[in-house]
Amino acid sequence: MTKRQAATAAVEVDKASFSYKNIKAIDDLSLEIPRGISFGLLGPNGAGKTTLIRMLVGLLKPKPGSIKILGQALSRRTAHLIGYMPQLPSLYNELSIIQNVNFFARVYLMNDKRQREKRVEEAIKLVDLWPRRKDSVMKLSGGMKQRVSLACAIVHKPPLLFLDEPTVGLDPELRFTFWEHFAELTRQGTTLIVSSHTMDDANHCDRLALMRNGAVIARGTPAELRKATGKKDANLEDAFLYFIHREEKNA
Amino acid sequence: MLNQVFTIAGRVMLQMLRDRRTMVLLIAVPLVIASIVGVSIPEKQMLDYIAPALLAVLILFFGFLLTGISFLRERSQGTLERLMASPVSKLDIVGGYLLGFLLFAVLQTMILFFYLIYVLNVSFHGELWQIIVFEIIIGILAVCLGIFISVFARNEFQMVQFIPLIILPQIFLCGLLWPVEQMPEYLQWIARFLPLTYGVDGIRALMLQGQSLLDIGKEIGVLAGYAAGLMVLASLTLRRGASS
Repeated sequence: MTKRQAATAAVEVDKASFSYKNIKAIDDLSLEIPRGISFGLLGPNGAGKTTLIRMLVGLLKPKPGSIKILGQALSRRTAHLIGYMPQLPSLYNELSIIQNVNFFARVYLMNDKRQREKRVEEAIKLVDLWPRRKDSVMKLSGGMKQRVSLACAIVHKPPLLFLDEPTVGLDPELRFTFWEHFAELTRQGTTLIVSSHTMDDANHCDRLALMRNGAVIARGTPAELRKATGKKDANLEDAFLYFIHREEKNA
Repeated sequence: MLNQVFTIAGRVMLQMLRDRRTMVLLIAVPLVIASIVGVSIPEKQMLDYIAPALLAVLILFFGFLLTGISFLRERSQGTLERLMASPVSKLDIVGGYLLGFLLFAVLQTMILFFYLIYVLNVSFHGELWQIIVFEIIIGILAVCLGIFISVFARNEFQMVQFIPLIILPQIFLCGLLWPVEQMPEYLQWIARFLPLTYGVDGIRALMLQGQSLLDIGKEIGVLAGYAAGLMVLASLTLRRGASS
């Protein structure tokens, strides 16, 4: 990473709002996420995490507001810089694991066949599914589908990876494995933006933004957020409740 | 980008080929329908009138149904959302589906055509390539119609409900079973607005009257106009359901 690259944030959101008809899902939100870290968007269901992620990957347009990723205004030309793992596995059930991953590699403009095949193999190996690469996705368990979905999101080696509740429905062992994969990706320089409502996921993140009613109510490292409560043994759940109460008092 | 169109078309074809039951049904069902028509209409003149129209009707029916359900799955499984977040454009997606399904449509047309000519002995005075070109135009219309209508369905059951609404009236009014000219005037007026009417007229002109594509410019123009309009509607509404 050059000095100039390091100076620009991975994600810059400036006063963004978004409404579904009359319901305000994102409310005048501003956020800056540095490069090369795992950043958690933490909040209860309906806090606006998925809407924010959909805005960040270009599926929804902020009205009003603006979004930059890696220093560039968000557009279709920046789409190849992004990897996106939606909440649902979002795979072609009739196709095999390798066919799914290969398809998304081609979608992300990996036109060199040899390079693509190498990357497809690496991505499938990273999620430990290489021996089952020829299996139809239809035959896989929910956890395996999530792993294939992750492989599809990372196959083109995006510098910025958005993961929308990636560990929902996974057993603790698989959740741990997922976080090992994520840690490996951040070690390789990928910026990870993970939405979650579980404190277990939050503890794995380098930095967090606590979301409620479409707004960020607190941000910082897990240690900083815990410290803000003033309690010695506070966990992230205590911190989250503390910031909610503070928000309600201020309102 | 053409590359992306081929990528999506390749995936659409791969999905179809891996679903062997659908592939068998795609080929067998038109032959079964043609056989029933052949057996139930012993009079050669009547069979000559009805059988060619089947080529237009079945391409519209299968094109609409297969694309509609495939696209509905694409929306409900979340893969469309994933594609919309990628460098692929809306036109790449529509173009990929068109190319992917049209190859099956051409295959289906050829099998049905040879069955009609060599097994049912239906009269034929035209050229096969011209029929394939005309069928491709109907196929494009069917694929765009399927993509567009899939926006209004939330599940496969709802998608199937659109057949009696969108396809059946066209089959009854297109002149498949009796000439449009013999219908009440208000039905003739409605028939003039339905694309399948032009599809059936065109295919009969090509197969029975020995006319060429140049002679059926009006039919081609109307079908191409419908196809272009539906392609724009399909592209404009593509995002719906992917992000809502």
